[in-house]
Amino acid sequence: MSKRVLIVDDHAGFRASARRLLQCNGYEVVGEAADGAEALKLADELQPELVLLDIHLPDADGRYVGRRISSGREAPDVVLISSRDIADLGDSIERAGALGFISKAELSGESLAALLT
Amino acid sequence: MTLSKRAVWALAVLGFACGIALVPGIATSDFAEDRGLWIALDLVIGFGFIGTGAFAWRRRPGNRVGALMMATGFAWYLSVAPLVDSAFLFTVGQATSNLFVATAIHLLLAFPSGRLEQPVDRLVVGVAYLATTVGALIPMLFLDPVALGCANCPDNLLLVDSNRSFFESWYDSLGVVGITVLLSTLAILVARWREASPPLRRIVGPVFAAGGLLMVGLAGLLAVSIAGAEWQATKTIFYATLIPFGLVPYLFLFSLVQARMLRGGAVGQLVATIGETAGSGDIRDALAVALNDPSVDLAYWLQASEKYVDVQGRRIELPDSEDETRAVYHVTLDGDRVGAIVHDPTVLEDPDLLEAVGGAAALALQREQLEAALRAKVGELEQSRTRMIRFGMAERRRLERDLHDGAQQRLVSLALDLRLAHDMVRRDPAQAEQVLEGAADELGQALEELRELARGIHPALLSDRGLDPAVETLAQRAPLPVEVEAKLGDRVPEPVELAAYFVVSEALTNVVKYAQASQARVRLERDNGLVLVEVADDGVGGAEPGRGSGLRGLADRIASLGGRFEVVSAPGSGTTVRASIPCE
Repeated sequence: MSKRVLIVDDHAGFRASARRLLQCNGYEVVGEAADGAEALKLADELQPELVLLDIHLPDADGRYVGRRISSGREAPDVVLISSRDIADLGDSIERAGALGFISKAELSGESLAALLT
Repeated sequence: MTLSKRAVWALAVLGFACGIALVPGIATSDFAEDRGLWIALDLVIGFGFIGTGAFAWRRRPGNRVGALMMATGFAWYLSVAPLVDSAFLFTVGQATSNLFVATAIHLLLAFPSGRLEQPVDRLVVGVAYLATTVGALIPMLFLDPVALGCANCPDNLLLVDSNRSFFESWYDSLGVVGITVLLSTLAILVARWREASPPLRRIVGPVFAAGGLLMVGLAGLLAVSIAGAEWQATKTIFYATLIPFGLVPYLFLFSLVQARMLRGGAVGQLVATIGETAGSGDIRDALAVALNDPSVDLAYWLQASEKYVDVQGRRIELPDSEDETRAVYHVTLDGDRVGAIVHDPTVLEDPDLLEAVGGAAALALQREQLEAALRAKVGELEQSRTRMIRFGMAERRRLERDLHDGAQQRLVSLALDLRLAHDMVRRDPAQAEQVLEGAADELGQALEELRELARGIHPALLSDRGLDPAVETLAQRAPLPVEVEAKLGDRVPEPVELAAYFVVSEALTNVVKYAQASQARVRLERDNGLVLVEVADDGVGGAEPGRGSGLRGLADRIASLGGRFEVVSAPGSGTTVRASIPCE
C-alpha cells in the first residue's frame, strides 16, 4: 500500500527532487506546499498520511506548523526536514510533535522507512 | 534717536545752562518757599539727569535711555520754572510741571533696552504723557493763583475764567488717573524684576528700586492731596519723593561703574586664569565670571567638518538671530574662526567688555578647540566602529542566508537526484540518465553561485591582477553599458584596492537596482597620493546615503582608511558616488 505524502518546502527545486525520489520509492505524492499557511490548508484538504515538512519556511517556523498539523484526530505523521544538520537545531524537534527529523541531503526511501516503522 | 556726539554734548551744555539760569530766578522769587532747597534740587536733579543722560547717549547712541534721561532733566526744569517771578515761565511751568513724571515713567519702563517692549508699557506711558500735558493744560484755563491764596504769584497768561471748584474737581479726577498710572508702572517694574535673569537683575535692580519708591511716593502724594490734607504734609511727602527720583541717574551711573569695576577686574582675572588652566571647562567658568553671566556657553568651531561642538566634542547649534533670549559673540584669531561665546543678551550692554573678554579668551579657546576637535573625532570613530561591527555581522548573516538559500539547496537537490539515479540505474537506465543530466545542471549552477559569493567576499581577480582589470570585469558583468576609465596603473595597498573595488561594486549594484539608468561611467585615478573613485549614472537620482546599510557601510570603510566619501544625488539628475582614499 502506498502512503499519501504532502511535501512542504519553499524551494521548488528541492520539492521536484523529493517528489521523484519518493515516487520512485513507492510513495504517492498528493500535494506540494511552499509555506506554512498553504501547508495547513492542504493538510486539511488532502488528508495526507505523511507530511514532509521543512523547518525554515518563509512565513512560519516549521516546528510550529508541525505541532498544528499533528494535533488533530487522525492526524498525519509529520517528518521534519532541513538542509541544516540536526546538531544545529537542538532538541526542539522532539517538542514539535514530529515523528522525527531527516536532514534533506539524507532523504531516501530507507531513511523514511526507518522512521515510519 | 541718533545724534552726533558733538550735538549730544551741545544739548548737555544747554541743559547745564538752563539749570544755572534758573538759580537767580529762584533766589529772587518773592513768593517761593524753601528757595535754598529748591536751588539745590534744581541743580542736583537737573545736572544728574542731563549729565548721566549725555554720557549714556554718547556711549550707546542706538539706545534711547540716554535721550530719555536728558528729556527727564529738561522736564524737571519745567517743574522748577514756576518758582521764578515771570508770568511766562510761571504759566509754561505750571502747565507742564508734572511732565517729568511722564518722562520718568517712560525711562523706567524702557530701561535698559530703551524700547517699550510690551503694549501695556506703551499704554501706560501714553496715558502718562496725555495726563501731564493735555490733562494739565485744561485746568490752567481756570487757575487763578490769587484766588488760591498766592498774592505774589505771577499772572497766569492762560487764565480764561477763575473757577476754583472746577479746577479742584478736575485735579482730583486727574489724581485718580495718576494713581492708576503710577501703580501700574510699579506693578510692571516688579513683574519685570522677577522675570529678569540674574545678570539683568544686577543691572536694573538699583534703578528699578528707586523708580518703585518714586511711584509709591507720588501715588501717596496724590492720594493725600485728593483726601484734602494740609499743604505742609503734602509738601513733606513731595520732598521725600524727590529723593528716589533724584537718585535715579546716580544709581544708573553707580551700577554702570560697579559692573565695569567688577568686570574690569574679571578680565584681568580671566587672563590670569587662562594662563593657568589646563582642564577643559575652566575657560567657560572664567568667562562666566568675567562677563558676569552664569549662563555663558562656549562653542568650538571645527573647520574640517564645518560645525560647532561643545567641549565634549558633541555637535551643537548656535542660537539664531531670531532668538531673543540668547546672543552670540564670534571669537576669531588672526582672522580664523575659533569659536563662539553664547551669552545672555544683557552682556551686549557693554560691547567693550565683550570685545576685551573675547580677545583675552581667543588663544585659550583655540587651545580647547583642538581638544574639542579630538573628542569629536573620537566620538565619530566610536560610532563608525560600532557601525562597522554591525555592518560586519549583517554581512555574515547575509552570507549565511545566501549560502543556505543558494548553493546549499542546490547541493541538497543534487544529493537526492544522485540517490534517485543510483536507485534507478538498473531498473530504468534511460530515466536514470535524465536524472543525472538534471543533476549536472544543478551542480553547474551551484558552482556559479559559490563563485559569485566568493567574489563578494574577496574577488580573486582583484588580488591577482589589481584594481583596473577587476573594475573592468565588474563593468562587463553589469546589465547596462558601463564606460570605464581606469588609469591607476601600479598596484595600491590591498585595503585601498578592496575599498575602491567595493565602492564600484556597491555603486553599480545600486545603479542596477534603483537608478533606472541607461548607462553608467566609472572613473579610477590617482591624484596627489589619493586614489579617486567615481561612479556616475544618468538615472533618477534621489539616493540617500544615510538610509541604506550598503552606502553607510562603504562610507565607514572609507573613513577607516582616512578617506572621504560622498554621494551627490539630486532627484532627476543622476547619482554620483565619489570616494577619495589616501594610498601612501
